[in-house]
Amino acid sequence: MVPISYYLILAAALFCLGMFGVLIRRNALVVFMCVELMLNAANLTFLAFAKQNGHLTGHVSAFFVIAVAAAEASIGLAIVIAVFRSRGTVSIEEIRTMKH
Amino acid sequence: MNLPNLTSADFLPLLPAIILVVGACILLLSEVFLSAHSSRGYQAVLSTATSVIAGAVSLTLLTEPARAVFLGFGAMDPFSSFLTFTVCVSLALASLTAAGFLRKRGAERGEFYALMLFAGAGMSLLGLSNELITLFVNVEVLSIATYALTSYLRRGTRPSEAGFKYFILGAFSSAVLLYGSALLYGATGTTLLSDMSGPLRAAMANNNGALVYAGAVLVAAGFSFKVAAVPFHMWTPDVYEGAPTPVTALMSAGVKAAAFVALVRVFISVGSGIDAQLPFAIFSTLALLTMVAGNLLAIPQRNVKRMLAYSSIAHAGYLLLGVAALFVSAPGQEFKLLGPTALIGASPEDVARVDALRGILYYLLAYTFTAVGAFGVVSLLERREDEEKGTAWDLERFSGLAQRRPGWAFAMAAFMLSLAGIPPTIGFIGKLILFRAAVDAGLVGLTIIAVLSSAAGAYYYLRVVVYMYMRPVPEGAHTLERSWMTELALVVSTVAVVLLGILPGPLTEWIAQAGTLFTR
Repeated sequence: MVPISYYLILAAALFCLGMFGVLIRRNALVVFMCVELMLNAANLTFLAFAKQNGHLTGHVSAFFVIAVAAAEASIGLAIVIAVFRSRGTVSIEEIRTMKH
Repeated sequence: MNLPNLTSADFLPLLPAIILVVGACILLLSEVFLSAHSSRGYQAVLSTATSVIAGAVSLTLLTEPARAVFLGFGAMDPFSSFLTFTVCVSLALASLTAAGFLRKRGAERGEFYALMLFAGAGMSLLGLSNELITLFVNVEVLSIATYALTSYLRRGTRPSEAGFKYFILGAFSSAVLLYGSALLYGATGTTLLSDMSGPLRAAMANNNGALVYAGAVLVAAGFSFKVAAVPFHMWTPDVYEGAPTPVTALMSAGVKAAAFVALVRVFISVGSGIDAQLPFAIFSTLALLTMVAGNLLAIPQRNVKRMLAYSSIAHAGYLLLGVAALFVSAPGQEFKLLGPTALIGASPEDVARVDALRGILYYLLAYTFTAVGAFGVVSLLERREDEEKGTAWDLERFSGLAQRRPGWAFAMAAFMLSLAGIPPTIGFIGKLILFRAAVDAGLVGLTIIAVLSSAAGAYYYLRVVVYMYMRPVPEGAHTLERSWMTELALVVSTVAVVLLGILPGPLTEWIAQAGTLFTR
């Protein structure tokens, strides 16, 4: 059997990957995918701990997170489309009209 | 199959949220029967009425005893009922503001108000949440509705840009919050906050401290994004500027209040399991940075909407000072929970803690009245035509306002004084209660910094007053359209700001009930 710690390390790696992706990547859709990666890393962590503890809370949590992620994806893609319609690009560098 | 045995007492605290959701569904359905040219003025009235009814119900819940509901997944206490009331106040005022705002732009739609009410229901439920996944789901309910509201106006580039930034950073912070919750679940084996303190102590004893600390820090970081604490504030000015003004009002008041209440609830539980030093260190540092940076960054702003965004960051800093005061404890001393019990015979630390809790609640309500009112005046002055040029919210707009619209100018002056914390306004009383609680808790140094930075803040608030009362009306100023609904919101918030500044007694007595928090 694969030890729990392997799952946790994989989840932590995915989470970090997603986090750096959000901070570094310039394409809105890729940034969006990175956010999903972070949510799924949290899911994997929940499941790994649920398996370790042997109760259902973690499994149920994962389902809730999947449902929420789907809702978030729909609103996120709608916003990306709105941005594309008003500017013709989804590059984050060009989405910057407000001055600081 | 084992079904949980739920009684009507479990559903009682959900009543305000249920009312808000029903109102939202009616508003959504009303769109089915309306053509593009039908009159939609009543939608704002309906939305306001729904919020007022929900707010009245939450007031009656304030006297209910604190207890766990839904098998411990929710906590019904005066704390959450008071939050619901604050949220309903911000919803009602923001709906009234939206009526004038949307009519001016020809963008009146039922879904705008419906989304506001859905967000409000999410905020109310977030205050009740006493379990990590429930908490996450409610954070998302309110956030997703707010993302949609932010990019609601489709003309122009700003709303979609603001919506995009808000969405990316909001989703990012939710993911951080969730990952932190997953780690806390791993360390304790439970997601119920009220069951957490024992397993947390066991985890600390079994050398699982790293997991607990990482989880707590990530959860704190996730919340810091939501309440716009420095250094997690980068999104705030752009989003607040680009969002439709009534939505900005709702974000600065309701969303922030709900996030603060959830944050307090999580960390009271987490802090009781681990040493309270960790949350204290986190929140006092955040408070220091947020107060100072928020005020300093607001000073050079000539764009009033953006200035109010930085001011909202600064106010989050004062609230974080109150949160830090909750976690003051001597090293090694066990952090005691604030039970729903009476405070007779309680230690001075406990009394200071309850005072800090009350201070936070009072301040949230004070800020709600003031900020929503200030954004209401901003929404009356702006025009869509100037938005792309970026002059819609320029300070020049306020020149000579006292001669053109004395009522608006008086209201704005009251809001600015309240934000600056000058008597006789509700903002002054709020700061007084909060800062006194912080001093009682022993945070003298931080409180001095808070007072000094709010004195610096007076500069940019009073500058608006100076422009309104001491500058001539600029040549070729466009006519100012009136809207009775927005003006009604201004009247209500001005009366609240001034009256509760002169006579704070009734409200403080009433909040004395709300300062108790369900913990076990």
